[in-house]
Amino acid sequence: MTKLKNQAGNLCFSLIIIGLAVMPLLMAAGVAESPLIIFLGKCVAFSIVAIGLDLIWGYTGILSLGHGLYFALGGYGMAMYLKLRATHGAITEFMHTGGLTALPAVWKPFQSLPLTVLSVLIVPAGLAYIIGYFIFKNRIKGVYFSIISQALTWAAYSVFIALSPYTNGNVGITEIGSLAGKIRGSANQGRLTLLFYVSLAILALIYATAAFLVRTKFGKLLIAIRDGENRTYFSGYRVSRYKTFIYVLSAAIAAVAGAIFVNFNGSITPSQMTIAFSVNMVIWVAIGGRGTIVGAVIGALLVNLCEYNLSSGGMIEVWQYIVGGIFCVTILFFKGGIMGLFREQIPAFLRKLKVRGGQKVES
Amino acid sequence: MNRPAFRGVKPPRNPIITGVDLLPRTDPKTVLRINDISVSFDGFYALTDVDVEVKRHTVHFFIGPNGAGKTTLLDIICAKTKPTAGTVTFYPVGREVVRLTGMKEHAIVREGIGRKFQVPSVFVNLTVLENMVLSLKGHKGIWDSIFHRVSEDEREQIDTVLQKVDLRDRREIKAGSLAHGEKQWLEIAMQLVQKPELIMLDEPAAGMGKAETEKTGEILKEIKRECTVIVVEHDMEFVKQAADTVTVLHEGKVLTQGNIHDVLADKTVQAVYLGRGGER
Repeated sequence: MTKLKNQAGNLCFSLIIIGLAVMPLLMAAGVAESPLIIFLGKCVAFSIVAIGLDLIWGYTGILSLGHGLYFALGGYGMAMYLKLRATHGAITEFMHTGGLTALPAVWKPFQSLPLTVLSVLIVPAGLAYIIGYFIFKNRIKGVYFSIISQALTWAAYSVFIALSPYTNGNVGITEIGSLAGKIRGSANQGRLTLLFYVSLAILALIYATAAFLVRTKFGKLLIAIRDGENRTYFSGYRVSRYKTFIYVLSAAIAAVAGAIFVNFNGSITPSQMTIAFSVNMVIWVAIGGRGTIVGAVIGALLVNLCEYNLSSGGMIEVWQYIVGGIFCVTILFFKGGIMGLFREQIPAFLRKLKVRGGQKVES
Repeated sequence: MNRPAFRGVKPPRNPIITGVDLLPRTDPKTVLRINDISVSFDGFYALTDVDVEVKRHTVHFFIGPNGAGKTTLLDIICAKTKPTAGTVTFYPVGREVVRLTGMKEHAIVREGIGRKFQVPSVFVNLTVLENMVLSLKGHKGIWDSIFHRVSEDEREQIDTVLQKVDLRDRREIKAGSLAHGEKQWLEIAMQLVQKPELIMLDEPAAGMGKAETEKTGEILKEIKRECTVIVVEHDMEFVKQAADTVTVLHEGKVLTQGNIHDVLADKTVQAVYLGRGGER
């Protein structure tokens, strides 16, 4: 029984993966509409970034309100490659408008796919390492860290808008296809489905890695740092190194998510780098349930599913308020989110009922 | 006072010092030497010229009224606070002398000095066993913590230590749901399993009932066979039960030190401390 309980998260995740995997088949059968795959692809990306956020927030207690930065960096990297593929390596229109005559040096590595994949991982991870190294070495934590993470994201956002000859500013990099070719229309549906399955496999891989990590002593240490950073130092651990490590890992995961996102979104804009978007990610994790890994995936999927279904109709304006409301209720009454509801609150409620029932029988 | 030559100079990167600038060890039984430590917080001197030697395999108590600087002294030994002047030197068995002043907390722990805090600070969301596993000696790197598995030998060590503090049957319980006294014992156990040479306990009996306090005293007497124990405490009954040496601090200065009977008989001590009912 306890074994089953321990495996509940993995079981839940397997069901989610199977559910997502049969979607394209349903589409082929005509049950579901075909643009759905684009949306589901984005959901997979969001789930991945949520896992990364859960590792640093749910487990380690570092609340980053600027993970959009790493998500967008990964996204931009992939988008640059896809854009150059669309223009066959030639200089883009917005560079012309910005007064550039040749392809800038920063764009050059993105002509090849291996280099792109490498930079999608290394650039955000490197940046996270520099930021994390200094912040954690100086023992900046809690709300101060959150504020700094926001400020840095805001700064990066401003830089990306200001460097418009290189990044196309506000508009972002648009009119690109996916790695598997065209995104819209039904002609390329087959290859897009394949890309979706690859993304799903990446999600499963990242989930498995995260689930493995939190089960080891390393994972227990993350919880130890969250609950008693001081005690952890005095147990002989270099807490700042651990924090930097998990921060870099989570940034790299966010970047992978960003790169997948671009493939299904067909564009990347600075709005993915905003604080609002970063806070959204935090909301997914909070609603799904902090410190459970699978909760992050559930939260990301559920919130986006609701948004997809609600925000297209007349609910578009109220939607933000609904999410905000759910978030507040979660934080106030259900600290463990959806996972906590199933793990603690409902069992506790059932026990209470049982006890009451027992008393009635006695009297 | 013979001030050390390196006073006020930036400590060397490698804290293990050899050769000339080392203080001569006055007594081979000394495990820790607190040398003329002063610390000021914005001009207020919390400690002034505190000079104490702690002997191996003893239970050494620091007592004194509130604000005497007892906890500050522990903070200085384990590098939580930097002293304004003075050094702390550690003399481990069979290894080179280590100057603790200027080292990082985690490095001091790895040298074999454990610390228990005033407020029980166990990891509440982990089980008793997990708390102990995290405290094991060695394997403190990131890579090790991911791939190292707890060996049979280490498991036995944990069991032995848990047996000492009567928590063996509660291994699978979350530390957060232990009683207050049990949390204190768990934290002591977490220090013991690191196999320290020196263990510092800040008010281990705080908030404990009479029976629990007495048991804590017995635990201290037992662990001093394997290491040296430094205790900061208010409870005089507890001090009488377990102390080998007592140092009385008053307003940041050493008032007197010696064995418990001499200290209790001391007139000044009675005036500043015991005369007030020993704080309790």
